[in-house]
Amino acid sequence: MVWTVPHSDVMLKILGAPHQDDLVTSALRLTRALLDQDARVQVWTCGDATRLTSAALGADKPLDPADHRARHPSTAAVIGDLLAAHPERLHWYVCRFCAADRAAPEQIPGVRTRPPSRFWEHVRATDKVLALGVC
Amino acid sequence: MDAYLLIESAGPAGAGGDRFVGDACRLVRQGGDVTLLLTQDGVLGAVADSSPRLGDYLGAGGALWVDAFSLRRRGVAEEDVEPRARLVDMDDVAARLLRPGLRAVWH
Repeated sequence: MVWTVPHSDVMLKILGAPHQDDLVTSALRLTRALLDQDARVQVWTCGDATRLTSAALGADKPLDPADHRARHPSTAAVIGDLLAAHPERLHWYVCRFCAADRAAPEQIPGVRTRPPSRFWEHVRATDKVLALGVC
Repeated sequence: MDAYLLIESAGPAGAGGDRFVGDACRLVRQGGDVTLLLTQDGVLGAVADSSPRLGDYLGAGGALWVDAFSLRRRGVAEEDVEPRARLVDMDDVAARLLRPGLRAVWH
């Protein structure tokens, strides 16, 4: 059976360098708020944002030198938890080219890698697109 | 009436942000239902009298939303914010974004 992109109410396209400002926080806050209102959401990441869900990140951020007992979840863990909590309404896609170009082809479970040439299918499968992070 | 949610995430000092608010102003004058949301460093533009262009936008009848979370992270006191602004959280933004027909742009 041929896989088709599940329809969503909103697609968030995350572009640009995600750690130069609050972009990741904003994207995750908005994703959670949309899910809380029963929306169907798809997220497409390009560029450095493809590393947010890299399997190499593991579950925790590196040790906090100010508090060695503290554990802070990685972005991969936070997004993995969101995907597990909303398997029918949240879908996370990663641009295959961008991920390969950044040595992050291995992604966490639940994240689907897609060729950039298929991005149009995702645009057609959503009511709205909001691109975050560039221009 | 066309409805827009325009999201400004950059600080008020840049020329790009100024042009973005100018675009918002033009959409209001063309009869659009426009909400301008300031978030991330963009909230610094909500400090009263910090942005003449924002004054033009508000004078034209545009709605101004300010992300309360971003405001707190930057230590900006609510009393220093433009009084015509409405402090909002992401639930408000999500609800607006889900309005049928609304167009949203992130800058």
